[in-house]
Amino acid sequence: MKTTLKYYLLSMIITTLMINVMNSQELDRTKRPSGKNAPALKLPQIQKAQLSNGLQVWLVERHQLPLVAFNLVLYAGSDQDPLNQPGLTSMTADVLDEGTSSRNALQISEEIESIGASFGVGSSWDGSFLTLNCLSKFMTKGLDVFADVLLNPVFPQKEFERLQKQRITSLMQQKDQATAIANNAFSRIIYGSSHPYGANPSGTEASIKGMTVADLQKFYQSFYKPNNATLIIVGDTKMSDVIPLLEKVIGRWTKGEVPKSTLPEPSPVDKMTIYLVDKPGAPQSEIRIGYPALARSTPDYFAVSVMNRMLGGQFMSRINLNLREKRGFTYGARSGFNFLKGKGPFTASAGVHSAKTDSSVQEFLYEIKLMHDKGITAEELGFVKKGLIGNFALNFETSGQIAGALQSLILYGLPENYFDNYLQNIDAVTLQDVQRVSAKYLDTTKMAVVVVGDVSAVKGGLEALGVGNIILCDADGFPLDETR
Amino acid sequence: MKVLLTFMVISMALVMQSYTQINITFEQYTLNNGLTVILHEDHNAPVAAVTVMYHVGSKNEQPRRTGFAHLFEHMMFQGSAHVGDNEHFKLLQEIGANINGFTGQDGTTYFEVVPSNYVELALYLESDRLGFLLDAMTMGKLDNQRDVVKNERRQNYDNRPYGTANEKILRAVYPPSHPYSWPVIGYMEDLSAASMDDVQNFFKTYYAPNNACLVVSGDIQPSEMKPLIEKYFGPIPRGKMFERPKPVQLKTMKQERMMYEDKVQLPRLYMTWHTVAGHTRENAVMDVLSSILSSGKNSRLYKSLVYEKQIAQSADANQDGSEIAGTFQIQVTAKPEKTLTEMEQNVSEILNILLKDGVTQSEIDKAVIAQEVQVINRAATVLGKANSLASFYSYTGNTGNINTDMEFYRGITPQEVLSTAKKYLKEAAVVLSVVPEGKGELGAKKGE
Repeated sequence: MKTTLKYYLLSMIITTLMINVMNSQELDRTKRPSGKNAPALKLPQIQKAQLSNGLQVWLVERHQLPLVAFNLVLYAGSDQDPLNQPGLTSMTADVLDEGTSSRNALQISEEIESIGASFGVGSSWDGSFLTLNCLSKFMTKGLDVFADVLLNPVFPQKEFERLQKQRITSLMQQKDQATAIANNAFSRIIYGSSHPYGANPSGTEASIKGMTVADLQKFYQSFYKPNNATLIIVGDTKMSDVIPLLEKVIGRWTKGEVPKSTLPEPSPVDKMTIYLVDKPGAPQSEIRIGYPALARSTPDYFAVSVMNRMLGGQFMSRINLNLREKRGFTYGARSGFNFLKGKGPFTASAGVHSAKTDSSVQEFLYEIKLMHDKGITAEELGFVKKGLIGNFALNFETSGQIAGALQSLILYGLPENYFDNYLQNIDAVTLQDVQRVSAKYLDTTKMAVVVVGDVSAVKGGLEALGVGNIILCDADGFPLDETR
Repeated sequence: MKVLLTFMVISMALVMQSYTQINITFEQYTLNNGLTVILHEDHNAPVAAVTVMYHVGSKNEQPRRTGFAHLFEHMMFQGSAHVGDNEHFKLLQEIGANINGFTGQDGTTYFEVVPSNYVELALYLESDRLGFLLDAMTMGKLDNQRDVVKNERRQNYDNRPYGTANEKILRAVYPPSHPYSWPVIGYMEDLSAASMDDVQNFFKTYYAPNNACLVVSGDIQPSEMKPLIEKYFGPIPRGKMFERPKPVQLKTMKQERMMYEDKVQLPRLYMTWHTVAGHTRENAVMDVLSSILSSGKNSRLYKSLVYEKQIAQSADANQDGSEIAGTFQIQVTAKPEKTLTEMEQNVSEILNILLKDGVTQSEIDKAVIAQEVQVINRAATVLGKANSLASFYSYTGNTGNINTDMEFYRGITPQEVLSTAKKYLKEAAVVLSVVPEGKGELGAKKGE
């Protein structure tokens, strides 16, 4: 302690001297500090192993905090929902942890809470996920429940009925939210009724009402297999500690055949049309503009990412600077490509002041078309690439971020050296690449516009834009003058 | 001034049962102009967070200028004497930084998470807007951000289900003179009224080094930081002292019952009690009580209303301890066609049982371990640590409380929960019913 103090006093004197030297000259604030040499980023080292039943295990050790996170990634996403049964994947996930052959719903919850852990089952378009986050000292207890839920779920009828009602009510509540209405209607409109992405992954009142425990069990038995999953572990543990534990609790999980299906090709939007959903008295309009665009596997991923960051992927993007900072129409406007296993949507979106609805649609279309026609400048290219490269280092700070990065490698079958080559791939994008992808993927004549707002206030202005026919829709995106 | 070991220490202590605690080490000192500087080293990733927190929030506003602290926060991103319009964002997004600011009742926080070789740029930008904001201020910028903030209000409050419930409750639960009686986002007419004079006065009063703290957390060397911080922040002059709003003794009021119709499908009941400010033992006890009521399937409100009887879609309890006062709130969203009268009766029944028979030690233990994990998770990012260090300094005057705050949760007994609950959870101060349009009959009626 004494030596520390002495050393500290010494360094304080030196610091004071330096300060005095610096104060003797006036600081020139017109000179911007530049960055020193970029610090080295150590990418997470992925250790891999396989359980005796074939389950792949990926581990990244991190011992800074006494926590460990498990994420079992199953190739069972809502894109597997039968067209007449939307919501099946997400309902299966919801009911999975509601009872096992030896624990009821309350016991599962009690055991997890008593160790301060969090445990959940969820799903996305591309996968289902069992996640457990716990103090590393309670890993054995946590995994015991995790494994029981995974291997021995009984889908109790009474819990199923409770969650069925819960889900139907929450679908009803989605109708309260302009953003939820806009998102659902937009998906329905651009993907139609013959593609899974056109449905609500939470289902419809009719599809949920029609579901039975047997449907969930069948989905579980088809897709929840060790050969259809990978377990990601990030945190305070070692392979030699965790593998024996896993063998003990999930070694019995048996392989099986998993149904193979391919996603249909979405039909393109044939011409620009404005779909209008009425929300009487709404002070804002929610706008969505886009079309079914690109899968994660596209070879244009990097060029499109660079292009979109300039179009609407950051605060300094053209769309946000125009609609928010220049015109004050909105709290924030953006665009994005949702790269999924299938062709996910391109969406430009904002909530805008109702009185500025038509002007906002006009500015969105102006920016998209300008990008389509002219691409970006050399200066913008440098700006965006530098930003993406700098930001990369910020994405590997937490266990959650690392688990997310690993999950994307697993779900989309990206090469193992994907992150090693990321910076190089961004750096390699040229102006010509951006020009080519903007011309190819931003054709506004093949996009739909969805507006959720007060029809009586916004319809006239939208008509006057003259960009496309206007079709009035219900909150699910079905035209009002058609029968479903 | 303190120097501590610079690595995070994980210590296990045995008190009744073992618990896990992490210790966040930091160094703190004050510049001549009164700016408090807090440095924390963490070399796990090549990133650093720069946080500047000003001890001013909506509670420093004047009644007909509500929303001003937050509108002002927006103006801080619009350039300063040496930083052009939008250049603040441009310089930071160019290096891939994550940037934001947030305003609360008590404080306003600005942060940048940067690759650690760019900390100096963040210090430069933060110091320029603290030292030289007004030189670049124009009416055009103010009008633009006024529109942006009005849209923020439309988006997050006016066009959102139940979005204005909170401001109606605040207005009822606090007297009009109390600075927590208005919402942070402010009222539309007050946003319209904000003038350039307001901007200048607010800046001159509250944006002074002696009303701020600067935290740099992450992959940094304190010996390199200190001269840079002095270089950029040292020359900024100290500001005048001003008077902070003080806690006031709130008169016990007659229960206020309100109802309004909203564009919602389900009715929702809000019951609000006056409790206690944050960073106190009683705040921790009420926080534990809120977990016992609504955290997890076995919690009392959830288990009864949502899980067993299935008369509610959701049930939540929350203790909100701010700097000079606190409230406890229960929110229950009823299932379709259920009345809020039924919800209120059920909540009262559950509270009465609790106030009669108390809670169990095991219920307390679950709440405490959840808090323990939450505190550990706060240390998972350099930004989480920077913002926590800044808050503990600003609100408690002792940054070291970041490592001892958990003590408020240690040793809580069923007896203590019971006596604290009895003290605060008498008749609710405000009962608000939000009902679907034209469904006034679903509102909570007293004593039926």
